[in-house]
Amino acid sequence: MKWKRIFYPDLYIALSLSGVASVAALFVRNEFFTNLVIWTFFYASLGLSWNLIGGFAGQLSLGHAAFYGLGAYTSALLFLHFQISPWIGMLAGGAVAVLFALIIGFPCFRLRGPFFTLSTIASAEVLRILAIYFKDLTGGSVGIQVNVSPSLAHFVFESRIPYLFIAWGILLGVLLLSLLVERSWLGSSLIALREDPDAAEALGINTTWVKMVALMISAFFTALAGVFYTQFVHFIEPYSEFSLENSIQFAMIPMVGGMGTSIGPVIGSFILTPLQELIRAWLGGRFLGLHWVAYGLVLILVVIFMPQGLVGFLRARRICLPEGWRRLFLPLAPARVGREMDRLIPPSPVSSSAQEEILLECKGVTKDFGGLVALSGVDLKIRRGEIFGLIGPNGAGKTTLFNLIAGFHRLSSGSIYFGGQEISGLRPPHQVCRRGIARTFQVVKPFGHMSVLENVMVGAFCREKDPRIAEEEALKIIAFTGLEDHATLPAHCLTIADRKRLEFARALATKPDLLLLDEVVAGLNRVEAEQVEEMIRSIRARGITVFLIEHVMQSVMSLSDRIAILHHGEKIMEGRPAEVACDPKVIQAYLGEEYVLACS
Amino acid sequence: MASVLGQLILNGVLLGGIYSLISIGLTLIFGVTRIVNFAHGEFLMLAMYITFWLNSLQGIDPYLSFVVVVPLLFVAGLVAHRLVIHPILGAPSYMQIFITVGLSVMLQNLALFLWKADFRSVDSFCSSSTVKIVALLCGAPKLIAFAASALTTAALHLFLKKTYLGKAIRAVVQDREAAQLMGIDIHRIYLLTFGLGCACVGVAGTLMAPIYTVFPTVGVYFVLTAFVVVVLGGLGSLPGAFLGGLVIGVVESLAGFFVSPQLKEAIYFLIFLAVLLVRPSGLFGQIGAEELG
Repeated sequence: MKWKRIFYPDLYIALSLSGVASVAALFVRNEFFTNLVIWTFFYASLGLSWNLIGGFAGQLSLGHAAFYGLGAYTSALLFLHFQISPWIGMLAGGAVAVLFALIIGFPCFRLRGPFFTLSTIASAEVLRILAIYFKDLTGGSVGIQVNVSPSLAHFVFESRIPYLFIAWGILLGVLLLSLLVERSWLGSSLIALREDPDAAEALGINTTWVKMVALMISAFFTALAGVFYTQFVHFIEPYSEFSLENSIQFAMIPMVGGMGTSIGPVIGSFILTPLQELIRAWLGGRFLGLHWVAYGLVLILVVIFMPQGLVGFLRARRICLPEGWRRLFLPLAPARVGREMDRLIPPSPVSSSAQEEILLECKGVTKDFGGLVALSGVDLKIRRGEIFGLIGPNGAGKTTLFNLIAGFHRLSSGSIYFGGQEISGLRPPHQVCRRGIARTFQVVKPFGHMSVLENVMVGAFCREKDPRIAEEEALKIIAFTGLEDHATLPAHCLTIADRKRLEFARALATKPDLLLLDEVVAGLNRVEAEQVEEMIRSIRARGITVFLIEHVMQSVMSLSDRIAILHHGEKIMEGRPAEVACDPKVIQAYLGEEYVLACS
Repeated sequence: MASVLGQLILNGVLLGGIYSLISIGLTLIFGVTRIVNFAHGEFLMLAMYITFWLNSLQGIDPYLSFVVVVPLLFVAGLVAHRLVIHPILGAPSYMQIFITVGLSVMLQNLALFLWKADFRSVDSFCSSSTVKIVALLCGAPKLIAFAASALTTAALHLFLKKTYLGKAIRAVVQDREAAQLMGIDIHRIYLLTFGLGCACVGVAGTLMAPIYTVFPTVGVYFVLTAFVVVVLGGLGSLPGAFLGGLVIGVVESLAGFFVSPQLKEAIYFLIFLAVLLVRPSGLFGQIGAEELG
């Protein structure tokens, strides 16, 4: 949205928070206070780094201590053995962490939920054990002391002030990067895959690769912070550097501040770090462990009462502002269905010569699920510019056919061609989407915590990486699908009819040649259904071929140029709507033997 | 050599018995509530501390304290479920992970605060006695622990197969919605399962107190092993947890001898990663359970 570009509220909040803290540290000249500010910046950077993969992508890593420890050890060892400056060590440590991220990322990302978390814990544990074991290299459990004369080249200073500025610099660097990611196709893809990995794939997002990129960036900056720690504290050892406590700490900062936002981890650190340091100074000496008890309690209470963190909690309140307030920020005037649509996206019907071209061809498509044959030997040809309907009783295999075309399932045998090229080997689904096939889901899959605009932008990013252009395109499509009143609402607030529109809008945003619509009319009332029918026609008028599954006969008969009927996984009939409607085989499939007799 | 190998395997199996016992509680809770309880080790720690205090304050033998510890842990499980787990049932998995991690941090440090970081040990009537099986030696406490572990597993298995409550628990594992439609109060089942899982750890705690020293973070060490065991056996599978425990015990014993005692954990963590990759559902787990997350 335009206003976001003007205000960047997140950036200004973070800048002023950290600026005030730095200036205060410079004036107060109290070692405890300066340290407090440095630690706050330090943990904010770590929280931001963790948040890239843990918050945006929702991949809850509790193994980030691995990257942190790798950074710390790489730089310390390079200095110890080869006298390489820690400034270069920083980059080297980052590189090692990125490499480690690559090695563990591919296997671990195949796992979901707690299994992913467990695998990250295990990775960090293995590193810790190895660091203790290879004493000759790492100094084993005794650790490494960094004892050098203070100098800029050694990254060691007498005063706290240079550390303060370096910590601030790292924080601002990570923050800017995080903001950039948040506003780019990368952030959009990460949040989308967190909300619904299948829908993200269907919109052309290579979910594995995107997660990998986020993990590598996250690992790099976590390692950077690890090097800073080494230079600041002058001592590292495997038990604490690679510890689970560290990993939990990194994750907890965004959790309290607000996961999946760039400002959240900063705020989280400004709350938690001073709290922790104060409790530690106050209780730590007298009551061993009590500050961690408080910490654990805070974590439990936050999860129960404020699961979106402080920022999420505040943002949730903002949605409730009056309608007009949100409208101020929408650059496009509302456009209604009709002539306005032509202005938004001009019609470009398929020329009559191109209509002969076969866009999608299924040859002997067969799918069995361990003995249950869902589809057997289905042949289909869909011409460019057509609206092609697919009907059949429940369990006939319609959605399975869509899943095969879109790359969600692997074919048992047969092949599928799209625009003359075979696509049946393409998997995972994002590749199919990139080729120009978009789909909607029968059970709608909105990205619930993203706004309608952000949802549609996920689709637009499939073709256009520039966020400004993607946003413009998305806004046009939102108006085209009649969602302009809801553009800034989170998708989970929409009614079912609007969610179906959103499915349309997202799929259209990927600029498909072929649109697969899975029961988009079912469940709507007659007025809503007519609007959707109108929309399908106007989509076709823009040169997009439509292949739809539908149970509502009235809609499918009036919309389709041709219709195919599936029954028990086989195509029993294909033809114009009128031919299909009075075919005995179709009546039998739908209504049973006796009705055929009654009709004839 | 044969006798060394035999001794190593015996040691491994006995050790594995203990791992099994801890893992059974974890796997039971996961199977029913679909929550990976990161605080599981802390319940073990609590059980070991209660055993220790009963012994040092009242002079009760660890094996007798069983009657007190197990019901106490059951109640602790019920309380923890009611206060912490119940509110986040059905929440996204990151919240469930965070909350049990928070519980773990809290309990661990509460123990540190109350009982200090000292290593404490408990002596039982048979602490120093050994038993000779053919040519192999083993410590009596370990043998008792193994036997009790096998018995508990068997008892739990029978309970799940034969009683109505057990059947209800299994029904919830299969399909919580269908179970609800059959008139099963799933929240009661969740509650009981959590208590039951913690009671299993209570058994483990009393049996382990005479073998291992007790300190606030003892749970972390064992819970990581238990995760390996449970994933190897298949999350949610009792026989899987039992056999998985034995396998990891033997691996640890052999790796400690043939590779290095310091690397034995690294080795089973690598096994853990390999299992997660090759067959995330484990040896006996429901295929696809890992997808449910």
